[in-house]
Amino acid sequence: MEALQFFIACVTAAGFGIAIAAFGCGLGQGMGLKAAVEGIARNPESSGKVTVTMLIGLAMIESLCIYALVVSLILIYAHPQAAAIAGLLG
Amino acid sequence: MNIQQRLLTFVTRSNWVLLASVSLLGFVATSPSFARGLIFGGLIVTINFHLLARTLKNALRPSRLASPNVVLVKYYIRFIISGVIIFFLIRQQVVNPIGLFLGLSVVVVSITLATMVELKKLIFKEAV
Repeated sequence: MEALQFFIACVTAAGFGIAIAAFGCGLGQGMGLKAAVEGIARNPESSGKVTVTMLIGLAMIESLCIYALVVSLILIYAHPQAAAIAGLLG
Repeated sequence: MNIQQRLLTFVTRSNWVLLASVSLLGFVATSPSFARGLIFGGLIVTINFHLLARTLKNALRPSRLASPNVVLVKYYIRFIISGVIIFFLIRQQVVNPIGLFLGLSVVVVSITLATMVELKKLIFKEAV
């Protein structure tokens, strides 16, 4: 029974983890994109510079979301100590 | 070459260099599963970065703006494909999760390196 509770806790943590990460990354990317598009609209000649700077920022933010996805999937499918904990809990 | 262009060139090149060196190191010094994680993780983020660059360049060039819908669709397709690949890699236990995690850090490490190189240039320029 406790092993089942452990599994439920893992799945809940994975769900909340990816939800919070997606929320934060969505906000961050949206804000960056908004500022970049406004900048290009005001000064179209700056398009190249703004695009490159934004690209690096977006890649950085996106990788955070991918990290959260990986951690969530590890929690559900490949928890390193899952067998040991399940054995302890019975 | 301005600082933005320099950063992008550095990151683009160092992504591949880091991926190659990390893969070699993985094969020499770690288990095959860990090395596979490093390679797959590195490939996923590096290809993602190149596709993101191409989409953004097409989308934000004032001379020929892409339709917002096309940009959105491309973005979601890329993200869903990455997610599905990562899901199968972890679900089927093809790779070591820690190796995959490290492999996925290739772009972040490249960007950090590029920033440090630019910072070093700036500090030395200030000192002179």
